[in-house]
Amino acid sequence: MSKLRLTLSLATASLWYRRRVLAMVCLTLTLSVTLLLGIQYLRTEVRQSFTSTISGTDLIVGARSGQLNLLLYTVFHIGDATNNIRWSSFGQIENDPRVDWAVPISLGDSYQGYRVVSTNGQFLKRFQYGNDQPLELAHGQWFSNLFDVTLGAGVARQLQHQVGDQIVLSHGGGRTSFSNHTDLPFRVSGILETTGTPIDQAVYISLEAMEAMHVGWKSGVAIPGRTLSPSSAEARSFTPDAITAMLLGLKHPIMTFQLQRELSQFPDEPLSAILPGVALSELWRMMGQFEQVLLGISVFVVATSLIGLMAVLLTIQSQRHREVAILRAVGTSPGLIAGLYSLECVVLALVSCGFSVLIGAAAIFTLSPWLLSHYGIHIGLRALNPDEWLLLGMVPVVAFIVSLAPAWHHWRKSRALSFGNSDSN
Amino acid sequence: MNIETAQQPSGSLAIQTHQLRFRWPKQQAPLMFPDIQLHRGEHLFLRGPSGTGKSTLLSMLAGMMLPEAGSMHLLGTNLSELKGGARDQFRADHMGVIFQQFNLVPYLSALANVTLPCRLSSRRRQQAQGSPDAAASALLRDLSIPESLWHRQVTEMSIGQQQRVAAARALIGSPEIILADEPTSALDTDNRDRFIELLLTLAHEHRCSVVFVSHDRSLANHFHHQLSLGGES
Repeated sequence: MSKLRLTLSLATASLWYRRRVLAMVCLTLTLSVTLLLGIQYLRTEVRQSFTSTISGTDLIVGARSGQLNLLLYTVFHIGDATNNIRWSSFGQIENDPRVDWAVPISLGDSYQGYRVVSTNGQFLKRFQYGNDQPLELAHGQWFSNLFDVTLGAGVARQLQHQVGDQIVLSHGGGRTSFSNHTDLPFRVSGILETTGTPIDQAVYISLEAMEAMHVGWKSGVAIPGRTLSPSSAEARSFTPDAITAMLLGLKHPIMTFQLQRELSQFPDEPLSAILPGVALSELWRMMGQFEQVLLGISVFVVATSLIGLMAVLLTIQSQRHREVAILRAVGTSPGLIAGLYSLECVVLALVSCGFSVLIGAAAIFTLSPWLLSHYGIHIGLRALNPDEWLLLGMVPVVAFIVSLAPAWHHWRKSRALSFGNSDSN
Repeated sequence: MNIETAQQPSGSLAIQTHQLRFRWPKQQAPLMFPDIQLHRGEHLFLRGPSGTGKSTLLSMLAGMMLPEAGSMHLLGTNLSELKGGARDQFRADHMGVIFQQFNLVPYLSALANVTLPCRLSSRRRQQAQGSPDAAASALLRDLSIPESLWHRQVTEMSIGQQQRVAAARALIGSPEIILADEPTSALDTDNRDRFIELLLTLAHEHRCSVVFVSHDRSLANHFHHQLSLGGES
């Protein structure tokens, strides 16, 4: 026990004595471990944030298409629907006894490149993301009048809109559109809280407003004289003919598969129903390849700096000949000297790991508000998960293995040490 | 060649060797060493030109190298029969060692350098008067190392001071045997005489036997016995 204490105190004294040279090695190691840990951390966070883009929804129903296509256009606003769903079908499904709630979604228009999602009040109430977090309004209210629009946080931030602003929606998708709904301007009634999901990148209007905008439109063009004015539109009531998709919540989640099967064989029209969680994981599997590559690269970076550490230790070793001779002369065993070497290496690795965790935590702490407000990416500070601890724990272990080379060299040399050569070298 | 001892203060032998022989790897001629019988508390001066195996003999006595043939008993223990680890522990328990120069661990303070043997040997720790730190302080004071330097880096000291700190380390915990390999060769004459006087006085107080290697004949009169290697006497 006293031997261990002696080794430990000698190792720390020796590291401190050589702190100038070792600080550089420690810095390299710290940076590379920070990179490794950071990538692993972000990987987990991004996957977490990605797979929780939508939660609390049991089924997403749209016209017959592939699972990923349906997920992409309903949740991520990428791509287009293959077909619409009849309004009557929506009513039928909504009234199914197994269905707790149903949110209709109609897509097709855009505002400055951002998708217009027309839905109803249920969307605000039912849509959840992350750990079943509901949507919340940062300013104003969810749309209530016909020509009210609620903006996603990202849209409001990017275009610097405030509650009360008048905006004009465009027909069809795309950033620049030649056919605008100029006759029917909308008023911003509210702005949603940042979610870090595609919710931030869309604007929300009512299904009725979507209908009203398209009265008098044929084949994507407004026919002069047939469109409505705001006052005449408000006097009428609208019922949509069709919607693009719907989100379903079930009374008993156990019914999910049964209902999914039935919806796929819906008699009135061809439909597809998907489980958002399953589709999200599948999508992540496709996109997740590159993160593996990234992690692999960072492992190589750490390996490189550990080899650098070994090179430095071997260089220092030649300067330590006398010190070893003295320690041997006072009765230190070759084992203790080899142990001293390994311990120094491990202590160095532990110090680097400690610094890495601190640097990483500080970076996330300072950058996360900025990331969220500028890019809508939510990276929170959390405790390390077992995978990350394992990765971090590997660093001192590998450092120990790396140290065995110089340690063995020392062990062998110090065994053969004697008076004559301790002075001559 | 036997050393005749006039008196036997302790009645037991510190060092006894018999027909020691050592051969370096890849060398034809072995080194032959005269027999030594040194009583406890007595001091031996070992001289001879370089290449005669002075350092080799010290290394064997310290248990750091093993002879090809012959026997050596230190304090009644046959060192050749001990395993490597036991020889290291024997050295920690019973021997103090002083090199020519660069005697100190650079990253330890003077005081920590002196107490190092007490951390490797419980025997030395127990024999240190008071605590190891107290014993080290007393020794450093006896060897007139200014107290301001005790906690400083040893690299800030002069060579003479470093050698005296090394002597304090060899003496702490009163080991039976002190092996000194030309410890004065880097010192000027004044420092050299003072160093030997201090070392031998303190060794006498602590009842240590000293084996002192040097090629400087003029030092021989400080010692009870002298032995010359390499044929000349």
